[in-house]
Amino acid sequence: MFAAGAIAEEDKLDRAETGRVLRRSLQFAQPYRRTIWWAIGLVCMSTTCTLAGPVLVKFGLDHGIGSDNARALNIAVAGYVLVVIIAYFVGRGQYLAINRAGEGFLRDLRVTVFDKLQAQSMAYFDRNKAGVLVSRMTADIESMGELIQWGLLQFVGAGLLLVMTLILMTAMSWQLTLMVVLFVAPVLGVASIRFQRQSNAAYLDVRERVGTNLSNLQEGITGVRVIQAYGREAEQERRFVVTNRALYGSHLHSVKVSTWYFGLVEWSGIMSIALIVGVGGFLVHHGSVKFGTVAAFVLLLANLFDPVQQLSQLYNTVQSAAASLHKLYALMDAEPDVAEHPRPVQLPSEGELVAHAVTFAYDGTERPALHDVSLGVKPGERVALVGPTGAGKSTLAKLLSRLYDPTSGYVTYGDVDVRLASLASLRERVVVVPQEGFLFGGTIMDNIRIARPAATDDDVAAALVAIGALERFQEFPEGLDTEVRERGSRLSAGERQLVSLARAALVDPAVLVLDEATSNLDPGTEAVVEQALERLMTGRSVIVVAHRLTTVQRADRIAVIDHARLVEIGTHDELMALGGKYHALASAWARSQPVIDPSAGR
Amino acid sequence: MVKRSGRASSTPGAGGWALLRAVLAEQKFGLIAGMAVGLAWSAGKVTVPKLTSLAVDRAILGNGSLAFWASLIAVMAFIAGIFTAWRRWFAFRESRLTETKLREQLFAHVLRLHVGYHDHTQTGQLMSRASSDLLQIQGFVVMIPITASNLAMVMAIVVILFVQQPMLALIALAPLPFLNVLATRFSRRIHPAVLAVQQEQAQLATVVEESVSGVRVIKGFGAHEVTANRLRKEADDIRTVSLDAARVRSSFLPALDLLPNLGLLAVLAIGGHRVLNGSMTRGQMLEFMQYIGLLIFPLRNLGMTVAFGQRAAAALLRVNEVLTTAPAVADPKAPVTLPEGGAVGAVRFEHVTFGYSADSPVLREFDLTIPAGASVALVGGTGGGKSTVARLLIRFYDVQSGCIQLDGVDVRDLSLRVLRQEVSVVFEDTFLFHDSVGANIAFARPDAPQADVEAAARLAGAHDFILELPDGYGTVIGERGYSLSGGQRQRIALARAIVANPRVLVLDDATSAVDPSKEHEIREAMRTVMDGRTTIVIAHRPGTIALADTVVLLDDGGVAATGTHEQLLATNERYRVVLAALAADDDVEEAVS
Ligand SMILES: Nc1ncnc2c1ncn2[C@@H]1O[C@H](COP(=O)(O)OP(=O)(O)OP(=O)(O)O)[C@@H](O)[C@H]1O
Ligand SMILES: Nc1ncnc2c1ncn2[C@@H]1O[C@H](COP(=O)(O)OP(=O)(O)OP(=O)(O)O)[C@@H](O)[C@H]1O
Ligand SMILES: [Mg+2]
Ligand SMILES: [Mg+2]
Repeated sequence: MFAAGAIAEEDKLDRAETGRVLRRSLQFAQPYRRTIWWAIGLVCMSTTCTLAGPVLVKFGLDHGIGSDNARALNIAVAGYVLVVIIAYFVGRGQYLAINRAGEGFLRDLRVTVFDKLQAQSMAYFDRNKAGVLVSRMTADIESMGELIQWGLLQFVGAGLLLVMTLILMTAMSWQLTLMVVLFVAPVLGVASIRFQRQSNAAYLDVRERVGTNLSNLQEGITGVRVIQAYGREAEQERRFVVTNRALYGSHLHSVKVSTWYFGLVEWSGIMSIALIVGVGGFLVHHGSVKFGTVAAFVLLLANLFDPVQQLSQLYNTVQSAAASLHKLYALMDAEPDVAEHPRPVQLPSEGELVAHAVTFAYDGTERPALHDVSLGVKPGERVALVGPTGAGKSTLAKLLSRLYDPTSGYVTYGDVDVRLASLASLRERVVVVPQEGFLFGGTIMDNIRIARPAATDDDVAAALVAIGALERFQEFPEGLDTEVRERGSRLSAGERQLVSLARAALVDPAVLVLDEATSNLDPGTEAVVEQALERLMTGRSVIVVAHRLTTVQRADRIAVIDHARLVEIGTHDELMALGGKYHALASAWARSQPVIDPSAGR
Repeated sequence: MVKRSGRASSTPGAGGWALLRAVLAEQKFGLIAGMAVGLAWSAGKVTVPKLTSLAVDRAILGNGSLAFWASLIAVMAFIAGIFTAWRRWFAFRESRLTETKLREQLFAHVLRLHVGYHDHTQTGQLMSRASSDLLQIQGFVVMIPITASNLAMVMAIVVILFVQQPMLALIALAPLPFLNVLATRFSRRIHPAVLAVQQEQAQLATVVEESVSGVRVIKGFGAHEVTANRLRKEADDIRTVSLDAARVRSSFLPALDLLPNLGLLAVLAIGGHRVLNGSMTRGQMLEFMQYIGLLIFPLRNLGMTVAFGQRAAAALLRVNEVLTTAPAVADPKAPVTLPEGGAVGAVRFEHVTFGYSADSPVLREFDLTIPAGASVALVGGTGGGKSTVARLLIRFYDVQSGCIQLDGVDVRDLSLRVLRQEVSVVFEDTFLFHDSVGANIAFARPDAPQADVEAAARLAGAHDFILELPDGYGTVIGERGYSLSGGQRQRIALARAIVANPRVLVLDDATSAVDPSKEHEIREAMRTVMDGRTTIVIAHRPGTIALADTVVLLDDGGVAATGTHEQLLATNERYRVVLAALAADDDVEEAVS
């Protein structure tokens, strides 16, 4: 969750891109458009209220004090009171409106992006590192949350205030306004542009280093057992200090960039007072402006400089939110390569699962992981896939269950191309039990139920009984409600494997694709599990990627995969008689258990 | 290096501030400099309204020199501009330094905390100690020099106003303390809301992280709905708590914005009449209004500082709690040295009792003696406590009773560094670092020559596939690097232990993911590694068990039987059950015949 987001080029948006991002967001905000209009209206009103203060002061000064008229003064005071009261309620309203729309927008964005993410193919998850994907859903969306909570309102408000103040000043005295603008605009204009450029670079730098630093921190914490086991604490600490100090350096640089700018804003703010006093005084002497105007200008100056300062501070927030949105939209635009057909068909409830001359290469690899393989599994038949490590067994299993689509060739179930089938009906017919079991934070019960969310507690218990593991877990103080902790670290290695095997015992598909894990179980427990899986396999088609001789022997047919090709297929006896790859493999297996079998010798 | 906060304080709150004081004491020069330039800034800033007022009365409405007064104000512009920049610089520099140092202190301490602590602490929690909590502390430290100068300015303005028009000053300033009160109350109310938002965000992050890392399981079982529902719930929760926070903001922030206006109003109403009476000049009135304008930000800031202070106090508490947790497994006061020379590596477990929670022991009165240089296979059922034996030997946990000795010395009397140098465990789940293959193998001895690294890789059966990787030994692996298969990862972990060249080597199921045909080769190499070195092999496969001279059967928390594999197979019923010997026997015979 804390891994560095992918930064760099994609963070820098050009103007056209920003426009596109904005238009897209407007579409996304459609459901909340009424609230948004309200918010905009309220922001305008509240800005007007902010401006009304100095105007009323001017009125009081010129018409009340200037012409010895106590009534005008009282009117100004009463008007001011009214404005303050209105401003309070308008202010409340604008916070509520903007947050209601904003949080709704973010909530929808979270749900939509996540659904889109889950719809992506396995290849997508291979291509994109977990840390980056997680940061899309967290850091990127949160940076927008920040904008909505603080920035958006200030951004709009500050912009409006700036413009309206200028209009108001011009109406009061165009000469004074012109002078202020002629002085302020070039100084602040040039400075702001430089500042934005520098601070953007500094900000990106800080963000990247924060990412690296957090990754190192996380690696240190997750790897703490290995670090301690080898006594490398001091070394890791030394390395961490290097990245941590680099981050400190970037922070300092970014402060340096902003420091001169804020000094300059402060300077020009007071300089403008000096100018107004000097030039305004001159104009008062000539009778072309009233004293109240000069006073109002001095008070209005704050309305000119505060927004400028706010806008430049907000610039980074806006910029990073736009960049985040851009990345999110890129994720949402990525069409899943294993997508559902626009007019999907239901798969027949039973049928033969056949691979027709499939070839497949993983993204970014040239050598195909599977080359021209054809294989059919009849209803009720059990086929074992065997072969050395990296031969392509798991790959074939993944193609058969459409986790990937073949580069060429195709897969059918009951004579229907699986690419035409609805994904829901495919997952009902074909279930894959992956090689690596993954435990989620939560209880043992939750972890098993993921295989069939509708399963009752009794179903889960029955699955555990089937693999002979119920008693073992019930003996834990909290039984099946034991929290397994991150990645299941509360359990022993074998216990973790039992939990993920129980998942397989819970499902009920027509075709079961079982990618057998290399075992952490003691052979005694394993034998019990094997019997359970045996029961599970009867009555359905099974494709089992086998790492154990016993599993292989129970198969109806054995397919030997070697170097991405199907090299032999047949029954155990046929293949033994052939004396080819399978014979060699079976002998290696047998040798790995030499002591048990005295006849095999050593 | 690390300052382990040994100062146990009576109340935890005091401990948090003591921690901050200790860190800030090292930075006192920077902080004092920040306050000094801050004072210069407030002096410049405070003079401006006074000058404006004088300019109005003497030059605009009177007949003094406009240019003179205007240039005086311009001088103040330079002073305020330069010193505000400096103040900012010092404030941020010092606060970032505090954050940086505290993070290093935290990291160093967490690395040394006992494994039992890490079992019960989520990675995410420690991460947020070192990131968001430290940010809150940083946010407070920034305020220290800024608040000091703001305070000076507020006091100066109050004095100036009172000296001129005590009554008007009293009325005009009356609403301003409320600003402070309101700001303080606001932050007290908003804090829990913000915390709730952060918590919900962390929960959502966990759902996403697990859905991405466990995507194979989710896709395999078609369980998208489960995770999608979880996510929807978290997204809804975030919206709910965020709106709660927005509600708090909406009732406080507009009030905070508007309160100062009451002061302006008072000046306009009362001051206006006074000007009409002639008891006050117009310049003074403008001055009053400007001063009140000047007060707005500093006063709001004071409120924020109080708020930030409270938040920082909570964060400091949490950070201090980690820093004051003493590692339960630590170096002894006077470490004993291990005997050198001769046959070394004798291991002895004596009446060892241990459980992860006190009431359910995993090992009971466990006794095991392994002579120097001997090898033992530890066999037992799933969850029987085999890995626990390995963890106890390197003191990941301390025994509850009994003792463990290495070469006749209680492991608790050895320095951890020495113990862990001399005993290497290859764990059942492999953790590799985001670094090159070579650096991962040389982890225990970063200065090991390349020849040693390659020799170890050869022995572990890893050399060949490493050469086929894109950059050979320079290929970067780990979470963000090149992905290796389970068997390949195990072999690198094995090489890592071989490079360490320990007296005692523990292999916890270290070849379970290695292909049987390859395992054979590794086993041959392992004989070289094990030659003359005490080795404990935890294994399920008979072929691996056969590497050891003796087999120890771990059952029911103790040693159930000892002997050679054949002896146990022949005499021990439980051993046959654990190895499923009866079933396997027939299968294998049938298979190769
Ligand atoms: N996600 C992936 N991206 C790129 N290459 C991959 C990916 N998964 C597997 N490969 C490569 O494809 C080839 C076949 O891998 P596969 O997982 O099918 O082997 P396997 O026969 O199942 O091996 P094992 O017995 O070790 O499980 C290997 O060379 C492997 O490195
Ligand atoms: N960190 C932990 N906290 C609490 N209980 C634990 C922890 N680690 C292991 N256990 C429990 O202690 C018992 C022994 O675990 P251990 O890992 O030593 O078993 P093992 O013999 O290595 O099993 P396996 O062959 O499955 O690896 C198990 O019942 C397990 O649930
Ligand atoms: Mg595989
Ligand atoms: Mg274990």
